[in-house]
Amino acid sequence: MRWLRRNALRIYAGLAVLYMLIPIGVIAVFSFAETPKDKLNFAINNGFTLEYWQHAFAIQELNDALRTSLELAVLATLISTAIGTLMALALVRYDFFGRRGANLLIILPMATPEIVMGASLLSLFIFYSAPLGFTTLLIAHVMFCISFVVVVVRSRLIGFDRSLEEAARDLGATPVQTFRYVTLPLILPGVFAAALLAFALSIDDFVISNFNSGTTVTFPLYVFGVALRGIPVQVNAIATMLFMVTAVAILLVVWQQRRAERMAAVKPEPEQTELVGGPARVPA
Amino acid sequence: MTIRRRLIPYWLLAPGALWLLLFFVIPMGFMAQQALESGSLLTGGFTFTWEWSNFPDSLSGNSEQIVRSFYYAGAATILALLISYPLAYAIAQQSSRWRLLLLFAVIAPFFTTYLIRTIAWKTILADQSPVIDVLQYVHLLPDDGRVLATSGAVIAGLTYNFLPFMILPIYASIERLDLRLIEAARDLYASSTQAFLRVTLPMTAPGIVAGVLLTFIPAFGDYVNATILGGTHQNMIGNKIQSLFLVERDYPEAAALSFLMMALILAVVVVYIRLAGTEAFMGEEEKRA
Amino acid sequence: MTTSQRLRILVATALTLAAAVLVAACGGDSGNGGGEVQVAQGGKPSGEVTISNWPGYIDPGKDGTAAEFEKTYGVDTTYIEDVTGNTQFFGKLQPQLERGDSGGRSLFVVTNWLAKQMYDLGYLEQIDHADLKTVFQNINPQFVDDETDPGRKFSIPWQGGLTGIWVNTSEAPEIRSLKDLFDPKYKGRITVLDEMRDTVPLIMQMQGADPQNFTTEDWEKAIDFLKQQADSGQIRRFTDNSYTEDLTSGNAIASIGWSGDASLIGRDDVEWRKPTDGCDTFFDQMVIPVGAPNTAAALAFMNFVYRPEVQADIAAYVNYVTPVDGVKEILAKKDPELANDPLIFPPPSFTRGCSEDPNPPGDAEEQQKITEQFQDVVTG
Repeated sequence: MRWLRRNALRIYAGLAVLYMLIPIGVIAVFSFAETPKDKLNFAINNGFTLEYWQHAFAIQELNDALRTSLELAVLATLISTAIGTLMALALVRYDFFGRRGANLLIILPMATPEIVMGASLLSLFIFYSAPLGFTTLLIAHVMFCISFVVVVVRSRLIGFDRSLEEAARDLGATPVQTFRYVTLPLILPGVFAAALLAFALSIDDFVISNFNSGTTVTFPLYVFGVALRGIPVQVNAIATMLFMVTAVAILLVVWQQRRAERMAAVKPEPEQTELVGGPARVPA
Repeated sequence: MTIRRRLIPYWLLAPGALWLLLFFVIPMGFMAQQALESGSLLTGGFTFTWEWSNFPDSLSGNSEQIVRSFYYAGAATILALLISYPLAYAIAQQSSRWRLLLLFAVIAPFFTTYLIRTIAWKTILADQSPVIDVLQYVHLLPDDGRVLATSGAVIAGLTYNFLPFMILPIYASIERLDLRLIEAARDLYASSTQAFLRVTLPMTAPGIVAGVLLTFIPAFGDYVNATILGGTHQNMIGNKIQSLFLVERDYPEAAALSFLMMALILAVVVVYIRLAGTEAFMGEEEKRA
Repeated sequence: MTTSQRLRILVATALTLAAAVLVAACGGDSGNGGGEVQVAQGGKPSGEVTISNWPGYIDPGKDGTAAEFEKTYGVDTTYIEDVTGNTQFFGKLQPQLERGDSGGRSLFVVTNWLAKQMYDLGYLEQIDHADLKTVFQNINPQFVDDETDPGRKFSIPWQGGLTGIWVNTSEAPEIRSLKDLFDPKYKGRITVLDEMRDTVPLIMQMQGADPQNFTTEDWEKAIDFLKQQADSGQIRRFTDNSYTEDLTSGNAIASIGWSGDASLIGRDDVEWRKPTDGCDTFFDQMVIPVGAPNTAAALAFMNFVYRPEVQADIAAYVNYVTPVDGVKEILAKKDPELANDPLIFPPPSFTRGCSEDPNPPGDAEEQQKITEQFQDVVTG
């Protein structure tokens, strides 16, 4: 009973994470289901097979679309996180003319229905005769990611203990050095969380991409397209593969750190993975 | 303060503000122009005539969807908050290695595209699935009841799809928490509940505010969940705008309705921030050093 | 917030918006193309060409028709499947077509009613029959003329199909007519298409209207009927082609749907039936957009796919109705079951009296009104 109370939060977290992964489980299961025309139909009528995993990369359009989406998401994340973090710093730290207006500007893109945002952006591109393709997609993705990055980083910045920075300044650091060695590491978990969100937004976007892609195809565009005549089962296999590859990569990182810890006789610095923050500082 | 010092915020703001100005504000200008046009595509096109009547016209007949969107997005936000806060707290408790894995698990579903995720849920919640059987058995559902094509399904879909938007900001905020403050509270004879309510919760308020905004605002304009998981009377305002734009090709009304929707959301946001306290949203102003 | 701060924000917002409107207004009004209609130039095909089509509408791959076309004519062919829906495709191309820009596409395929609307808006080029000898040699006489394009001035048929009822024969084998669909004992287990020109003509015929002569009152009566059925919960939902998911999982026991969707339904006990009290056909058309580059290649493609051997490959893969003569005989040797399928080679008697995905009657304004009424029910 006491064990239950103490670990209640952990058990809950486990259940919650399981809940989040349910669709992935379903998707994985149906990637093994044989279908007559190799099109997904979320039913198990013809038994199981490994063929969609063996030929996971058989569909060129699918591979191209996936690669385009990944490239796009990585670039969009980098750019929007950088820009958004700078904006968040400005908005939280300084009081200046136009501060409230800037706050308004941040909220608006989130509140705009995607279809109108996509269509009006398209009008802009056409007005200036910009060729539609990867670049216009990138511009659009960065645009809608910025707001989300700002809101997340800002929530991390608020209540930030300035005395650490002041101490650095007192010890002779320039503003840039202070930022690099004091501020940035401390807000890094927030920046990382924002980057994750931006990545997720970009890789998943359909509506805005649909309008501004020209003839370029991203992964969501591909899936929405083939949904009309049947999603190839390979899509499920690849989605599951993506998930597993990243999970394994992270597990490797974790395992490798444990090994390093054990091999060094001394317990290492708590600041191992700065991306996600230092040691657990919340009470169990 | 030196001129240089005063200019710093503007430098920091510049890239983002410029990007949004070029690629958001100006397109909004196009949209604003459209909102004031009249005519129709097939009868000679649209002309700019300061047609202010588009705004009240677009409201009439769509109020049901607006209220419904409010209800669905609100319910989804509250549910997401209840689910996310403990989860974010638990993640922050883990050692930093496991946190990475858990955070990844939180956004992993996004790798599978919105459409496939939601279809997966549709499969799980299908009328004849074991899940429904269980729900009927424990009498949460009437014997011939269903989950799909009801409001419940749409809310569940919204909640699920926006969980990362709630978890990530809250996590970022909790992670920053200083253990010593809580220790101090306990030293001063506070119970764990009191410590939580008086110290933890207020200190993580910025994360909660951010999460609520990032969930409610996009959920309000969503249309995918209603399309896939809903029935004939679960349409949200996003579906309406989609229909106006693509099928009816009534660009002026679609634009006008979009502006009204944005104004409504802004109003809600302002009220919410007032209630939550503006520091939680905007932070304090810098002391003039 | 102080009043002066509030005032400042208001002024700033108004100024920004006004500036933006001014910038946008310089773009001019979004009227229609206007001007005289261009005729697509024929000639010897070369260079490169981009073709847009619906997904799954051509036999794919290295031995597919697009690749064959590339080899035969030496034209670098980019074949993209981005016509995910008539309205979606129109929505994203409209601003470009407005300015006479086809977005690089030389040919695309849309349903006939949209082709007509695009032509009326000046978004399409005319085609000269002199450049399409193979087409008019082999076209099935049923399709030489078309209500939406008399004389075939701008569209050439690609593939078509029928709209009818998919029925779960294990649970509801007795459903054979549209009227059966609305039997209260199936409440909540019926879906209908959200495509106005497919669903409403069927309902109108169920109510006794003349398929060759629908009146505005017929349309309004049918839309009213649908509203009632939606309100009462009889209709589970208005679907795009995702009704196949509902049929597969058993959510729906009958759906209004398209004849060629068999491969999307994951069970064997569901079959397509032509309703006894009404039927509807649709046909997708190849069209050449205004400003299309390399129209010679586009016309050559049209001729190419009208060669019976080429069309046989397409028909065998796609399983919809083919407009080309001589294909049935070729397939009879390779796959007799396919050749005798009335859903792929419907005899005239099969489609007699069917409506043809009609536009609502009247002028553009009246059509718009009907569209709005239907959409109100769909997005209720």
